[in-house]
Amino acid sequence: MAKDPDRRDLFAGALELMILQSLRYRPMHGYALAKHIKQVSDDLLQIEEGSLYPALQRLLREGLLESEAGVSAKGRPTRIYRVTEAGLRHLELEVSSFEKMFAGITRVLAVAKG
Amino acid sequence: MSFLSKLFRGRRYDDLSISIQEHIAERADELVAEGKSRPEAEQMARREFGNVGLIAERSREAWQWPSAESFLADVRFALRQLMRSPGFTATAVITLALGIAVNATMFSMVSGFLMPKLPGPDPQHIVVPSSVNPDAQFQPDVNPVSVPNYFAWTNDKRVFAGMAAADAYRTGSLSQPGQQPEAIVYSAVTPNYFTIFRVAPAVGRAFLAGEDQQGHDHVVILSHGLWARRFGSDASIVGRSVRLNREDYVVAGVMPENFRMMAYTPQLWVPLTLTEADRAPDARKNRYLTLCARLAPGVTLEQARAQLKILAAQDQKDYPETEKRWGASARVLNDFLIYSFGISTALAVMMTVVGFVLLIACANVAGLMLTRAVGRQKELAIRMSLGATRVRVMRQLLTEGIVIALLGGAVGLFLSYFGIQGLRAGLTFNEAVTNVPVSLDRNVLLFAVAVSLVSAILSSIAPALKSSRTDINTDLKSETRGATSGRSHNRMRVFLVGGEIALALFLLIGSCVLIRGVYELDHQKLGFSHDHLLTAGIQLDKARYADATKQAQFVREAMGRLQQIPGVQIVAVASDLPASGPGSVPIHIKGQPESQANEVHTALNVVVTPEYFDLTRIPLLQGRTFTARDDDSVPRVVVVNQEFVRKYFQGQSPVGKQIQLDVTGVAPAWYEIVGVVADVKSYSEDPRIEAEVYEAWAQRPVASFSFMLRSNVEPNSLISSLRRALAELDAELPLLRVMNMDQVIEFQRNGNPLFTKLLAAFAVLALILSAIGIYGLIAYSVGQRTQEIGIRMALGAKAHDISRMILRESFKVTAIGSAIGLVGALPLPKVFDSIFQGLLPFGAPVVYPLVLVVMLAVALGATYGPARRAAHIDPTRALRSE
Repeated sequence: MAKDPDRRDLFAGALELMILQSLRYRPMHGYALAKHIKQVSDDLLQIEEGSLYPALQRLLREGLLESEAGVSAKGRPTRIYRVTEAGLRHLELEVSSFEKMFAGITRVLAVAKG
Repeated sequence: MSFLSKLFRGRRYDDLSISIQEHIAERADELVAEGKSRPEAEQMARREFGNVGLIAERSREAWQWPSAESFLADVRFALRQLMRSPGFTATAVITLALGIAVNATMFSMVSGFLMPKLPGPDPQHIVVPSSVNPDAQFQPDVNPVSVPNYFAWTNDKRVFAGMAAADAYRTGSLSQPGQQPEAIVYSAVTPNYFTIFRVAPAVGRAFLAGEDQQGHDHVVILSHGLWARRFGSDASIVGRSVRLNREDYVVAGVMPENFRMMAYTPQLWVPLTLTEADRAPDARKNRYLTLCARLAPGVTLEQARAQLKILAAQDQKDYPETEKRWGASARVLNDFLIYSFGISTALAVMMTVVGFVLLIACANVAGLMLTRAVGRQKELAIRMSLGATRVRVMRQLLTEGIVIALLGGAVGLFLSYFGIQGLRAGLTFNEAVTNVPVSLDRNVLLFAVAVSLVSAILSSIAPALKSSRTDINTDLKSETRGATSGRSHNRMRVFLVGGEIALALFLLIGSCVLIRGVYELDHQKLGFSHDHLLTAGIQLDKARYADATKQAQFVREAMGRLQQIPGVQIVAVASDLPASGPGSVPIHIKGQPESQANEVHTALNVVVTPEYFDLTRIPLLQGRTFTARDDDSVPRVVVVNQEFVRKYFQGQSPVGKQIQLDVTGVAPAWYEIVGVVADVKSYSEDPRIEAEVYEAWAQRPVASFSFMLRSNVEPNSLISSLRRALAELDAELPLLRVMNMDQVIEFQRNGNPLFTKLLAAFAVLALILSAIGIYGLIAYSVGQRTQEIGIRMALGAKAHDISRMILRESFKVTAIGSAIGLVGALPLPKVFDSIFQGLLPFGAPVVYPLVLVVMLAVALGATYGPARRAAHIDPTRALRSE
């Protein structure tokens, strides 16, 4: 399968970061979460279900998320995911480290251009 | 997350599937809203979501406690799968069980002989300092040590925390009123001996300092075995006295049962008394002490060796007469015992053989699993299309292999329990071997588990690798193209079976060459007549038979009495029985230039009474044998054998020539050669014939000898009369080894009968296993080619064309395998010669074609059934078969 040049693989931890950030203010169920990330990123990031669900399970296991029984917008039973206290702390840590990294990368790219 | 929810992980899985279902349903709703029809929308939603099974599995894996859980699931699944095909499972398990059983059984010997369980704490710190003999070919660095050297070395407190000495092999008599006197092997040890091992007696006390002084030295410590056997494990024996060598000794204690050291396991211990004379410089040439020492804390073996080297170098300077070129070294106790036991080579050969048997078994099982994998190709393809990863499928197949191997290991261990019992029963060919415990111990258990896992990997890695490379599309679609599928699988199987045949042929040739060598030995002409011959060994003790006169008198009287026994025709006495490996002495020949120091002329030396040659029927070739007149009043005479004439007189007649014998403790004198007799094999278990010199008994009586009785009745029927006749002369004199000559020869075969039986059994097992392998291969390929055969027959092929085609296939595999095995086996006689150092005759080229024919016959026999079946295939049925 040829690679779509407009879409690229996420780096490690990026998906988890986006999941936590998306769920930070509003708990969501799986489908809503996938759609949310897609919309917010203006379709630039398309999350594959193949990685979304395993990532959700990893976060659950690490205690960064919790889930509860709930219903979807259409009234079907599903699981609602919510960020825990530990998840919030983790998110802040990760965000600041990401920001540092981006800043670094941006500078290097700028110098290379100049 | 609560502990409980961890336990009920099953709920998580359900949550997950709810989420996924909802996800797909919601997407479908959306698509419907966009104007798609419901079924179309649902299908699209599913496709977009991707592989549900795979995603669910990956998500679940996030929870799994890395693989343990899925391994258990795999095991459960594997067991279910295996139960579904009991034929396959039973064959695979039994094949592996046989391979593992022979390995575990042989390994019990390795565990017993090469991993001795030594008594006391930290046995790895105990070393055995030894003299290094400059001239010895055989184990030069484990020579016993002289008394002066013992005292010199024991004073070196920097390297040795303590050192003890033992005169390890003394023979003596143990007698009690009313009981038959018994000959026993015992050790005389310095009083600190048991302290070196840090082992206390189980009953009573150890030797005290000072009990090595004359007058205090009549104390004895019993081994556990002797205590149980002879004294009924009676603890009140301590303090009572036993009669050893006609003298009373007080029992001080009994050692625990585990105080055993392979060949150095005596029946009892007495204190070793060393006098001033023993310490004199002159005593340096009497090297007879076995030492053991505990290394000082922090001292390594290398440091101890270095120190001994320095000491030996000093001795060489100080005592050039006796110590010239002699060195000193040390081995760790464990190493010393194993090395001096000298069984490692035989065990290595046997372990190699059983290793090969296991390889053949693994190849068989691998073949079986390949067959099965082909049948399961579709199952695997489906599993992979449903989201199982390659690693997952491989892991599952490996798990099946492991389950089979562990089942095989369990059955194998069960079988080896009986194998070890049988082996134990056969390990009685000498006392040292009997002393070594061989059992299904922890080492054997661990080994069996390890072997099972190795065979699991060996037998399932190839099938697993192959099957996991399954191509989903072609395999799912290949529904109707059965006729030619499985080609690469077949190539792998041909390779496996070819390898099996090569290994089996190699093993068969190897064992046949060995067995033939042993057979030749068993049937070699010894050069004397050994039927109707009863023998009894005697060791006259110093207490009653102090000098030659008394010894000669005993022999004269005894011979007179033995002659009276009805059925006895001739009685003779010999220092060594014929073909029993007598000692050798240096000789000088008058008129011949003195040989160089490093190539001393030697000859085997036997002392016999005049009747000996008549009794043994060794033919006289020249001159005369001894007569009653050859006593100490006339000049000394000797008789030599043919080999002696060939070696030292280049075939010229030696009669009338003079030679000198360097017998320890006898003043040198010239002997006249009066006769030449025919050769007798020097050892009944060895093809060699060495130069031999016979001395006349009346001219030099010895204290250790055998009576030989030629009878015209069954010799063993005379045993009780013989015992009675000798007991009348001396009731406290034990008889060693009362047996007829054929039993002596059998005894001297040592472990040979057992080892040849084992070898033969293993070789036959290898042959059977490879026959099963060939059968499996051919039967499978016939099954695979049913359609093809049907087409061929429909197109006019005759039944015999078909069987010829199948036979050709089998023949091709067999021929290639045999060729490889044959080439591999060509250098075997040379290898064996170097392993057994010329002790066995290996010139047996006839073995090769013979074994090859057997192999081909077996291979073709195994093909016969499937080939016949192929020839009787009904073409119409075959074509419809899929």
